[in-house]
Amino acid sequence: MLWAALLLPNGPAATPPSDDALRGLAIWALQFTPRVAVSGEAVLLEVEASVRLFGGKRALRDRVVQEGADQGVNAVAWATTSLGAHALARAGIENGFKRPLEVLLDGLPMRVLTAVGPHHATLARLGCQTLGDIRRLPRGGISRRFDKGLLGAMDRAYGLQPEAHEWVELPDTFEARLELMSRVESAPALLFGARRLLLQLCGWLAARHSGTTAFTLRWAHDAMRNKDAGEGGALTIRTAAPTRNLEHLCRLLAENLAKVELLAPVGDLQLLADEVVSFDEKSASLLPDESQTGESLQLILERIAARLGPDRVLRPVLTEDHRLEWMQMWQPAPQPLPRRPSEPVDMPQPTWVLPQPLKLATRGPRPMYQGVLLLLTGPHRVEGGWWHRLGEGDEAITAQVQRDYWVALSEHAGVLWIFNERLAGDETAWYLHGVFA
Amino acid sequence: MSAVLLWAGDEDGSPTQALAHPSKSPSRRSQPGALPPEIEQAIWRGCDLGKQLGSVVSTGFAALDAELPGHGWPCQSLTEVLSPQPSVLEWRLVGPALRSVVAAGGSVVVVGPPKHPHLPGLRHAGIDEKHLVWVQADAPAERLWCTEQLVKGNACGALIAWLPQARPEQIRRLQVCAQACEGPVFLFRPAAAQHESSAAPLRVMAAFGLDWELQVHVLKRRGPMHEGVVHLASIPGGLSAVLTPRLLQPSALIASRESFRVNPPEVSPHALGGTAPSQRPRRHTTIR
Repeated sequence: MLWAALLLPNGPAATPPSDDALRGLAIWALQFTPRVAVSGEAVLLEVEASVRLFGGKRALRDRVVQEGADQGVNAVAWATTSLGAHALARAGIENGFKRPLEVLLDGLPMRVLTAVGPHHATLARLGCQTLGDIRRLPRGGISRRFDKGLLGAMDRAYGLQPEAHEWVELPDTFEARLELMSRVESAPALLFGARRLLLQLCGWLAARHSGTTAFTLRWAHDAMRNKDAGEGGALTIRTAAPTRNLEHLCRLLAENLAKVELLAPVGDLQLLADEVVSFDEKSASLLPDESQTGESLQLILERIAARLGPDRVLRPVLTEDHRLEWMQMWQPAPQPLPRRPSEPVDMPQPTWVLPQPLKLATRGPRPMYQGVLLLLTGPHRVEGGWWHRLGEGDEAITAQVQRDYWVALSEHAGVLWIFNERLAGDETAWYLHGVFA
Repeated sequence: MSAVLLWAGDEDGSPTQALAHPSKSPSRRSQPGALPPEIEQAIWRGCDLGKQLGSVVSTGFAALDAELPGHGWPCQSLTEVLSPQPSVLEWRLVGPALRSVVAAGGSVVVVGPPKHPHLPGLRHAGIDEKHLVWVQADAPAERLWCTEQLVKGNACGALIAWLPQARPEQIRRLQVCAQACEGPVFLFRPAAAQHESSAAPLRVMAAFGLDWELQVHVLKRRGPMHEGVVHLASIPGGLSAVLTPRLLQPSALIASRESFRVNPPEVSPHALGGTAPSQRPRRHTTIR
């Protein structure tokens, strides 16, 4: 048996840690083992069977200690019994395997065992100071003078009697709260608290073998808020692929929080997992697979879209139209492309287009753009669009075009795609619409 | 040094004699000045092109490949392309290389292009909708940040970024990041940047030529200075199907137009390619 005890610090007025905090820590710990119990101010977990999965005792210990510190754990201890680990954690000794457990426990002060509490004064008057002193008292006398809880607890701590625990069960939905240590006034600073909640979320997802595609961070404003600031706010973040990668979720949240302006200082945070999808994990194999260094393109584009805005990371979609403006559309990158690819065009087409056709000056009949243009081939008539109405109501216009496209050559600006359109009356005008580059 | 002297002395008596009468020396080591082939291979000379340590992507132009170390655009490093005007020649220059990148399944990501990319035209360069991503970054800081994220992530097949205002230290930072990026990274910058120092190991100056060609001059490479200009034949966007032999020499057309302007004929040509109203007979005179 390999037990770990994780101790949460007491509150400001020596109040024991809140149930929410203990429960959050227990949910996070469930990713290591299903045997997690809450006892007093500590979360106890039995990880003997998980050692190999997490890469050995040292790797597991390092991970628990490091991630536990992010969760606010202030003492960790390892021992062969849960009460022993709990007692060592209270005494500030981490490694319960350095010497035999009896030797270590014998030297500890009495108060490290909860069961000693009611009898502490009596035992102290008997001259006992350490657990070893209690153990040297005659067993029969102890069981007659004190309740049987004391002797039972002593036996369980020393591993003489089996222990029974009420295991923490994994909830079906994830919802975690965190009261912030101090009032937070800027949104990016919320990330510090939110990271702790995200760590719990990742632990919960790992225990359920799933990933999230949407989660919500809610914040409640401080009680001293301005009247019109409201109760609080919420931010929902969606990911393209299910993930439980803590760093990725943190960065996504940071990018989104950077754009939020808080109306009032925040005192309370809440994190909810909205959409949870089970996903296949890569198995840890003996031989290394073909190594993929770096991240997938999707993750990077998601992060860029979180900073720039979703409509600025785009993929093209071809549409079946012969008018240049409507030949393709751009859609946000995470959206799936239509399954059926459109037919390839074999006509000459420019590689750059201007967002709006640019009206060109003329010298006599010739269009000018950085000098007089030389028309190479044309005309290529593009006409139609009477069926296409733009805008709403009275301001609707028809996207009807009637253009003669030409390939033109400029000595400086390269090969251009320009068109000639008839205006009112007999007048015509030249427009630059694309570049063959 | 002494070994060389001994060797020359063994053959022909004295070194000076060996140099004076090279034909007399035995055929196994034909000329005292020439080195045996195995030594010849191991020697790097200042006039040779350097070796590219990482992989390369062929440019698709044999004449340009011959001028580049490793015979192609380098991966795992930056390539700076300077041109006098933006959006004149980018896809024509890198398009053939992108075709092979896309054929291998890599995505092409463009950051902050000067105009909107047009996919129907890019399909002539082998790029399809599944493999093109456009990042609309406008501010210089945004462009740099996006480029750096994409370079660090090492997930795109090829990255093309327009960084007109990047400073030398920012380019150096990108170059350090790019050493872990397996695809080619192209930075398009204005021609004025040639006077700044740059950490990119390969810098080329590209200009557009009238007769369907690109003129490329290698400003910086691992190897000797590049002299002269490489002319690369390139017809963009599927135009090769519609060009007549006369149109393959537009410079000649422009020259004749200039002479035409100096000595104009009596009747000036009218309505060049104009869209005439339908009730009028339509006239298309020769286009000059």
